[in-house]
Amino acid sequence: MPPLLFWTFAALMLIFGISVIAQPNPVSSALSLVVSFIALAVLFVSLDAFFIGIIQILVYAGAVMVLFLFIIMLLDLRSGQRKKAHAVTVAGGILIALIFVAELGQVLHAFPEGNRTAPALGAPVQDVQSVGHVLFTSYNLPFQIVAVLILVATIGVVVLSKKELD
Amino acid sequence: MSPIYLEAAVVVLGVFLLALEMFVVQGEKKILAWLGIAGLGIVLAASFFVDQTAPTGAVPSYHAFYSTDSLAMFFKRFALVTTIIVLVMSVDYLGVVRKFTPGATAHGGLGEFLALPVLTCAGLMWMASAVDFVMIFVSLELVTISFYVLVSYTRRNAASLEAGVKYLILGALSTGFFVYGITWVFGLTGQTNLEQVSAVFAAYQGSTAPLLFAFVLLVIALGFKIAAVPFQIWVPDVYQGAPTPVAAFLSVGSKAAGFVVFIRVLRTFFHATAIAHKIDLLLVAVAACTLVYGNLAALPQNNLKRLLAYSSIAHAGYLLIAVASSADPASGGAIAFYLAAYLPMTLLSFLVMIVVANYSAGDDIADFNGLSKRSPFLAFAMLIAMVSLAGLPFTAGFFGKFLVFTVAIAQHQTLLVILGIITVACGFYYYLRVVKAMYFEPDTTPSGQPGGQIPVGLLTRVTIAVLIAAILVLGIYPKPALGLLGSAAPQEAAGVLRSVSPQVVLR
Repeated sequence: MPPLLFWTFAALMLIFGISVIAQPNPVSSALSLVVSFIALAVLFVSLDAFFIGIIQILVYAGAVMVLFLFIIMLLDLRSGQRKKAHAVTVAGGILIALIFVAELGQVLHAFPEGNRTAPALGAPVQDVQSVGHVLFTSYNLPFQIVAVLILVATIGVVVLSKKELD
Repeated sequence: MSPIYLEAAVVVLGVFLLALEMFVVQGEKKILAWLGIAGLGIVLAASFFVDQTAPTGAVPSYHAFYSTDSLAMFFKRFALVTTIIVLVMSVDYLGVVRKFTPGATAHGGLGEFLALPVLTCAGLMWMASAVDFVMIFVSLELVTISFYVLVSYTRRNAASLEAGVKYLILGALSTGFFVYGITWVFGLTGQTNLEQVSAVFAAYQGSTAPLLFAFVLLVIALGFKIAAVPFQIWVPDVYQGAPTPVAAFLSVGSKAAGFVVFIRVLRTFFHATAIAHKIDLLLVAVAACTLVYGNLAALPQNNLKRLLAYSSIAHAGYLLIAVASSADPASGGAIAFYLAAYLPMTLLSFLVMIVVANYSAGDDIADFNGLSKRSPFLAFAMLIAMVSLAGLPFTAGFFGKFLVFTVAIAQHQTLLVILGIITVACGFYYYLRVVKAMYFEPDTTPSGQPGGQIPVGLLTRVTIAVLIAAILVLGIYPKPALGLLGSAAPQEAAGVLRSVSPQVVLR
């Protein structure tokens, strides 16, 4: 992938990521998140990780975000209802984020291996097949635990969203 | 039989309880709790007969994720015992749950409250065995997600809902840190298995900054789980708002599982000898903050649940003293014994609190005024729990603290020992306030029938008696338990942390 495209999509992802928290309207926030996810999917595809790229679009940008939008519209949130954040809180949050970024910059600076370019893949990878194979053979146990996790999450959703009957 | 069947049995039990609730049990749901207790008891008994030896020959695929060492077995049994007692508490608490959950029938919406802890227990047991970051992550999430549900279970109660939202947001944040930490470890080593990560760390030559960064990210996430300062902000509100059995489960089960993962991750990072000194400094700092904050903040509390929340932070501090002195081979045993003592005393105080709060409809310390006249048995149980939490002699809590301070002195952790002794003195004040309320205050309960006996169910009575006995036996004659721990749990834990790099002792 030409560096120009990488920088374009990386910038898109970050700009819309900021837009998610900056937008006053929750619907715009959700749509910004969709754009951010799609830009991320492009980055995955550029790394030859087609499967993750497609899943990113199908599951996150498609299913999850559409569900989000539905909920936002069902709840009928108005943008004006948001409480004004305290100036000190905002300043503190920004300060913490800046400290974290500064730390990250330092760490990356002290980590020359981060600049190493990985060799290009020789043959195209059958990524759906390999992910499936690994998931059901060597990662079988964590995969089963995820099944229990999803069961618990489902029970939780039913319990917590049950309608008031009186 | 491999120990992996233990978790499978627990999951099957959980699903069985759910199905039973749906198709068979229409009225009273207590039978589900009794079945759950019986089932977990059988699994606990079976855990003593499993074959712990690693399979030879064709290694099953799960073996890279799942350790069967004695550390894992000790914490599996710990999770099982905790869950059994939590289910006993839940039976007494069902009335409150019913009041605050929507449901069409008189017993609607209660079955899941009894089945979810069983599934959580499976998660705790997997955490005890997890030796791969992928496995650690999924089992940790299983536990955390079921706690999100359990904490906000009584959702008609605004405090429970608030606690659930707080726990969800802060828990998600800590999960984010954990995944980011794992990403850095994977980026540095290309491995997720702790053993292989250790091997790469041992040979690591490059800059230490990324190693420390990954370590700090993981400490943030695990510090959240074990309620170490400064990651403790959620604890008081969540404990106070959550249903009481869930608060007890959080403070014992979730904390112990957090510690076992913490120990394993720490052991991995100590292989990178270049940063061992800095890790030690960080541990000492976190332990000192946790000790001071937990004990000082507990002083002015008037609500017993909140008091126990701060006490849970304080006890994390004492455990962290032992973790920070991990160069000592006895530190693993000290941690295991401390947790084994922490289990009965914390669960006992929560159990008595549930029974008393059912009767006087409140869990402030003032609600315990004159309890010794209303119910000498409950007052005595609470007395033992409080005295043990404070660490007075002849109780399990005393020996726990004694062992922790012994390893700390052996490792010349002067600062932590001094802070520990001062904060133990603080602890006397706030724990004994509860005792004073029970024995020296006049009976001022607003219920209108002072002097009336508080009814205690048979199962609860037996459980309370067993917990009292456990505290006293561990406190008066700890030798067999220590011996048991010496052979069972801590062989592995004996050198728990620092088996490989003994030269990095903090002096």
